[in-house]
Amino acid sequence: MDRNQLVKWLESPAKMGHKYSLHAVYFCTGCGIIEVPPSITARWDAERFGVLPSASPRHANLFLITGYVSVKTLRAIIQTYDQMPEPKYAVGFGSCPINGGMYWDSYNTIKHLDKYIPIDGWIAGCMPRPEAIFVAVTHLWTLIDKDMADGYKRYRKHYAAYRANQEKALPGLDWPPLFPLEGSE
Amino acid sequence: MTKMIWYVLSPLIALVVGILLMGLSRKLLARIHWRVGPPILQPVIDLIRFLSQKSASHGFLFDSGLILSLAGSLVLTLFLPLGQYTPMSGSGGLLVILYVMLLGPLGIAFSSGGAANPYASIGISRKLMLAMGYELPLLLIVLTVMTGYRTISIVEVVRIQQAQGWAIATFPLLLSALAYILILPAILGMRPFEVVGAAQEISSGPVVEFGGPHLALSTLQHALTTYIGLSLFVNLMLGGGSNPVFFLLKMLVVFVLCLCVHAVFPRFRVDQAIRYLWRWPALVAMAGLVLTVLMGG
Repeated sequence: MDRNQLVKWLESPAKMGHKYSLHAVYFCTGCGIIEVPPSITARWDAERFGVLPSASPRHANLFLITGYVSVKTLRAIIQTYDQMPEPKYAVGFGSCPINGGMYWDSYNTIKHLDKYIPIDGWIAGCMPRPEAIFVAVTHLWTLIDKDMADGYKRYRKHYAAYRANQEKALPGLDWPPLFPLEGSE
Repeated sequence: MTKMIWYVLSPLIALVVGILLMGLSRKLLARIHWRVGPPILQPVIDLIRFLSQKSASHGFLFDSGLILSLAGSLVLTLFLPLGQYTPMSGSGGLLVILYVMLLGPLGIAFSSGGAANPYASIGISRKLMLAMGYELPLLLIVLTVMTGYRTISIVEVVRIQQAQGWAIATFPLLLSALAYILILPAILGMRPFEVVGAAQEISSGPVVEFGGPHLALSTLQHALTTYIGLSLFVNLMLGGGSNPVFFLLKMLVVFVLCLCVHAVFPRFRVDQAIRYLWRWPALVAMAGLVLTVLMGG
């Protein structure tokens, strides 16, 4: 943890701020509600990493989606992701958001979450242990350091494609596009 | 010349002390919960992050309300003695403080009202209800202090206490000090009166729509509110301080005591909070006022 190195703070304060102040929206879609509370309370204490659960997406810059994503929750996930201020990092937790997991042939769940919003990292497993959240956080620090956690830039760049996928999954998408559709690919 | 420097220095010290107290509260809370906790400078890291992000604005009132509230709190720090230094000592004293204290919640109310988020409206209605709850005992307490020391100047109150002993150690004013201790968590927004920013039920209440720089400003405002609440208590009841270091030490002791209550208690519902605030602290403060008038007259 290079949180205490003053030189790095002076070089790029914003990047260090984004690294060590990850306020998280935990989107517990069904699974993961058992794993998340121990990780933020006294047993595993996420606050020592600077990770704090946040009640409003406007405060947050880390979006943790735990468990399977049904079509109905996808709507809420997209809205939440759109409301977060940039730079924002999204992490899929568990195997279901990665490729559908045990719901691989379900009629009502989304198989690949990163078709709809950009994901910066995955935590595989069904379910992963709470420690895996901290491994993910330290990996995310490395990615932010190397400017590789660029999901929000990809979202802006390829917004037309993401929006098309969103409209395909959710017929009658009733909010206007977040970014102008003409400039993006 | 030195007097002019304190016009800049005292709001600055208020901000720094408020932010450090926030960091200390997070660390100490973690240690009470047997956790490791964040570094003490974690609020500074958060502030840097907030300021580097862009936030969505919801119109003119949304932006200007926050600035009004922050400006009101910064002006208020000029009226509060910091040790022996008071930048605006000759103007109005406690009466001005009581009026300017309203600007903080009012500005936040304007700003959150501009956001038109239902959680923000509920939070604001709770904030104003709670303010109504603790303003009544607070007014009685301030009235008692003004009657007891026969002055409206807070500088004079501090000077008399330095000469004759703290208000908390003299008899009728002891009751006012007791009432003030009972309402102090409500002024600071700590448990058991954490009804305003209830993260679990109303998504942090008034600050729900703030992101980026707006959140940074509201965090600074919260830090100033903490400083002002503690500073007023130390000045009125604990005899201020002969120099700023002693003054800040007294504030630290009071804050840690509040924090110990904050760490272990759940919170009231808003109606329970009002019922409590208007019953016990108001009663004790009223008894203090009556006794002060009888014994002083």
